[in-house]
Amino acid sequence: MEIVEGCRLPVLRKNQENEDEWPLAEILSVKDTLGRKLFYVHYIDFNKRLDEWVTPDRLDMKKLQFPKKEAKTPTKNGLPGSRPSSPEREVRKSLDLNVQAASAPSRGKTLPTPVQLTLAHSTPKKYTILSYHIKSCMNGLTMTCFLKCPNWILSDTFFPHALNSSLWPQDSQDSSDGIPTAPRMTGSLVSDRSHDDIITRMKNIDCIELGRHRLKPWYFSPYPQELTTLPILYLCEFCLKYLKSLKCLQRHLTKCNLRHPPGNEIYRKGTISFFEIDGRKNKTYSQNLCLLAKCFLDHKTLYYDTDPFLFYVMTEYDCKGFHIVGYFSKEKESTEDYNVACILTLPPYQRRGYGKLLIEFSYELSKVEGKTGTPEKPLSDLGLLSYRSYWSQTILEILMDLKSDNGERPQITINEISEITSVKKEDVISTLQYLNLINYYKGQYILTLSEDIVDGHERAMQKRHLRIDPKCLHFTPKDWSKRGKW
Amino acid sequence: MSKLSFRARALDAAKPLPIYRNGDIPDLNDCVSINRAVPQMPTGMEKEEESEHHLQRAICAQQVFREKKECMVIPVPEAEGNINYYDRLYKGEFRQPKQLIHIQPFGLDYEQPDYDMDSEDETLLNRLNRKMELKPLQFEIMVDRLEKASANQLITLPEAKLLLNEDDYLLKSVYDYLVRKRKNCRGPSLIPQVKQEKRDGSTNNDAYVAFRRRTEKMQTRKNRKNDEASYEKMLKLRREFSRTVTILEMIKKREKSKRELLHLTLEVVEKRFQMSDFSGEVLSEVSVPLAEKTVHPAPICLPNGNRHKTENKVKSHKSTPKHHPHNVTVKAEPHFDFIRPHKKSSRKPKLDTLRPPSRPERPHTVNTADIKQYDFHSSGEDENPQSPSSEPDEENDPDGAFVFRRRAGCSYLSPLTEQSDGSPPVLAGLDAMWQRNALTALSVPRRCVGVARRRLGRGGRFLLDRPSSELDRALRHLDPDTFCPSVTHSTFAPLPTDSHMDTHTNTHSPSPFRTTPQRSLAQLLSDIQACRWRYFQPRPLHQNQRDESGRNALHEDDRKGGGVTGTSSSRNTVLGGITEEQFQTHQQQLVQMQQQQLAQSQQQGLRPSSNLPERPHVHVSNTASLDTLSKTLDSASAQFAASAVVSTPNKDGKTHNTAVNGILPNSGSSRQNKFSSSGSSSVRPSGASSKPLLAVPQSLPHGHGPLSSVSAVSPAHTHLNSARPCAPSPPALKLATVASSLDRVPKVTPASAIDSIGRDKNEPERLALNGIETTVAMEVT
Repeated sequence: MEIVEGCRLPVLRKNQENEDEWPLAEILSVKDTLGRKLFYVHYIDFNKRLDEWVTPDRLDMKKLQFPKKEAKTPTKNGLPGSRPSSPEREVRKSLDLNVQAASAPSRGKTLPTPVQLTLAHSTPKKYTILSYHIKSCMNGLTMTCFLKCPNWILSDTFFPHALNSSLWPQDSQDSSDGIPTAPRMTGSLVSDRSHDDIITRMKNIDCIELGRHRLKPWYFSPYPQELTTLPILYLCEFCLKYLKSLKCLQRHLTKCNLRHPPGNEIYRKGTISFFEIDGRKNKTYSQNLCLLAKCFLDHKTLYYDTDPFLFYVMTEYDCKGFHIVGYFSKEKESTEDYNVACILTLPPYQRRGYGKLLIEFSYELSKVEGKTGTPEKPLSDLGLLSYRSYWSQTILEILMDLKSDNGERPQITINEISEITSVKKEDVISTLQYLNLINYYKGQYILTLSEDIVDGHERAMQKRHLRIDPKCLHFTPKDWSKRGKW
Repeated sequence: MSKLSFRARALDAAKPLPIYRNGDIPDLNDCVSINRAVPQMPTGMEKEEESEHHLQRAICAQQVFREKKECMVIPVPEAEGNINYYDRLYKGEFRQPKQLIHIQPFGLDYEQPDYDMDSEDETLLNRLNRKMELKPLQFEIMVDRLEKASANQLITLPEAKLLLNEDDYLLKSVYDYLVRKRKNCRGPSLIPQVKQEKRDGSTNNDAYVAFRRRTEKMQTRKNRKNDEASYEKMLKLRREFSRTVTILEMIKKREKSKRELLHLTLEVVEKRFQMSDFSGEVLSEVSVPLAEKTVHPAPICLPNGNRHKTENKVKSHKSTPKHHPHNVTVKAEPHFDFIRPHKKSSRKPKLDTLRPPSRPERPHTVNTADIKQYDFHSSGEDENPQSPSSEPDEENDPDGAFVFRRRAGCSYLSPLTEQSDGSPPVLAGLDAMWQRNALTALSVPRRCVGVARRRLGRGGRFLLDRPSSELDRALRHLDPDTFCPSVTHSTFAPLPTDSHMDTHTNTHSPSPFRTTPQRSLAQLLSDIQACRWRYFQPRPLHQNQRDESGRNALHEDDRKGGGVTGTSSSRNTVLGGITEEQFQTHQQQLVQMQQQQLAQSQQQGLRPSSNLPERPHVHVSNTASLDTLSKTLDSASAQFAASAVVSTPNKDGKTHNTAVNGILPNSGSSRQNKFSSSGSSSVRPSGASSKPLLAVPQSLPHGHGPLSSVSAVSPAHTHLNSARPCAPSPPALKLATVASSLDRVPKVTPASAIDSIGRDKNEPERLALNGIETTVAMEVT
């Protein structure tokens, strides 16, 4: 009995309480090192970042399920199966649109039991395109649709000339051909999963050494392939250059005299600083930063260059220099009110309030710009939690501080909240909903602040020491639309 | 709940929401379930991820506890470990600057090799270091350059040799090492790099290819102009830099030579000491042949091609003017200096400031300079061997547009060697026009024709050739009547040309000019040459007195002066007239020139008389052409005067009147008046108050003798309405000869031409000046 890719079986792992668990997992890859087999497993319903190489003894062979019909097994919700074999993909090219269209309805049906269904001639690409469709049907909200469709539509509306030329037809053609299409070029580095293949589904870097820290990457990152086999990839803490050995890093440090991100410091309070880096002017650093960030961001693609982005790098100063803590990137011109493209707190600094600080800073920038903004979607699990937490605290702060002028009940509109906080209206509403604040009473909507909400908020705010001081921000927004170039 | 049955209104973002605290809420039952009426907002996550175990757990925890619980956080892979060697790795401390850090664009671009040595390289380095010294950085630079020059295959050894200017042994060992290393290297290059896209699209799918270029043109509007400008700037910058490099290299060379010299001297001293050559005998013996050898070291040639060449060019610019064939007045000047310094110096400072800056034929000069200025020496251009040799001549020629140029079909007489040291420059452009033409007015339709040249047509008809010039507009406005009182009509009438006024004067001998209608061009030219230096001769004091006697002639002059101007072609629009001020300054200049000439003529003292006999000869041969010539010479000033006259009335009628009136009576005093009235502060030589005004007319003295039965008056005179006294009368002639001994050159005689040959050095200058005047006038008005 041989375990191949696509098999599912319970795999032993320790949970946070260091207890043994046997969650169901799928084998994504098998490798043979020194006569010993290793299996790359993805725990079903766990985030990909927990995927890992395991030894055979952690596999519960008794409950092994084989992949059906020798074909790819679509994983959750019709997403690409674990084995998009490349030869098949080439064949896909010859498939025409009709096949694609025909398969669409069936995919919709597969949804409830996605795991069981396999479609012989479907390709990863099809999955993605269709999955949007399906999802939109399913939850009625078409959230994913909102997020994804614009990607395609946008790339054309944004470039009217492209409509006439080959872009649009190419796009549709490509997507039906099963050749992953290029992501839209309007900037977003968010991956749309169209490139979700086995390579990018697996982490490729084992360990990264960055300054004082070692980091375990969570996701794939397109560092030079020859470096992926190294036990440790060394990064220069300040310029983020990747090096294959400690010796090389030593040599590099004799030549690299950076002690801070190579940009302009636009904020400093205490030890916290923010540096603004132009993705066009400082390509090397921006790319290095993206490569590092990709290790921890799933929904990010480095398909295109960094030109249309600004990178805001948060650093903490000590006597050695300005150490990177986290960053967020931002489109110079966003057509969708995005004020953040990707956002990351490096793992060593996570769960210490830095993420919220980054978010707060991004909204401070939006305030200066006089716009409301929202993070580019999709959010990751951690992103959602962080943003929700930030929004909740920000909105509650306002609501709690509201005083009535004339003895009447204080009141506020959603638009007002949005204006004060620069949080986009939709996010305000979703937060109010999430907090269960919106109620309908006597023919009108009201906001109710329950005791546990108030208490929880006060406790949380006590823990929130790190705040952005708008007075320390020295930032003048540029009108990128007038520059002709980014 | 019955209340659910009604449909809640949509949530309105613009509507105020009252805020209720927990205790305030009247009846909670009423509200809670209603919540569902508000559409659920999306989370913004991928749906399949939203359902992930840990997230859901965390969300639940938050809902329940309203704060994060340690055990409920989403687990992430974590790496252990502090790096204990951190401090050794990142050496030194970094002090936080007080100011926010502001990075300079391109400040990071210092050249450092991208390649970083690894331990394997270190072994090699250690091995190599046994034989030679090789620093890690040197090694890295070598590898870096080799790697960057190579694609999939390392470049060949000979190529590497070309690329790196290194010791052969070193290069070979490093090269061989690299070949081996590359074989073992899994990546395409020893410098790890993120995979780049391939143009053919084959890499569209490659997960390791990142940062593809956005092929779509995001920037549709590109400021090309800007690009060009900056490109030019960059070129310029490059040139400057390369010059700097050249200079530095030369300095380096010089310093090296110095050091060498020092060493050699030291050596010599040592040798001498060893040889006990204390008296220096041996040294002198040895050094004699040496001295012969060391003639002049050829100009140092630096190996850097273009830079060197530009340098050469500069040198040659400076040196060539000395060999200029034109020996009249060649002065080496910096080419960007348009106004001749020596001219300036000859003028009084006051004039300098008063006089509007004037540029004769400026466009020419400027153009060359401009071109030069933007003459970027790109490597391609520099290769052109011609440029250095051909350019300097033109460029540095102080004569600019007035350079003597031989014309096809012309024969040139050799200069009178005993007096002149050069040939007069031939005029070009506007001056050329004036050289051949004269101001002309018609008598029957009384009007000015403008500048014209008379020709004899078939059947003895007179034809007027009228060239167009910038002056036409001004000339057109000249009303012959205004300037020619009716009195003069009588004199006018006898004119042989019934409708055409002959502007050509041949006062000297009336006949020749008409009898010899067919003169060869060569002759003409030689005449011109002979006549050219006739202007600006100091006018003898007595001329004033003579004025009375020559009055008729003068009137003629005046009349003509009016008549002279006229415009045939209406298309020229440039000249608007000349202001009084300009006129005055002009006069002042004339005065000055006169003074100069005076000085010269004084030196020549008696010559005129001795030359006198010669005169008929010259004159006869030249005949009419002479006159034409003389006119042309003055034409510039004539034009000036004419325009001045024209313009003054416009400005101030009174001034004009006085001026004209004053002139007509020909009284010196009135003239004085005129000048004073116009507020001129002209500098006049004391004692010769009236003379300075004459400046130009001097050239025509011959025209006004009693012999001058010809009605025509040279325009040169006419233009000098104010300076009319210049017309020499026969007595004046005599006086002139006398005066000549009195330190004044008798300009009256054609022979004066001969005198002036001696002075011809001044000529080009003055000519230039005249030209200057005209251009300025045009520009100012």
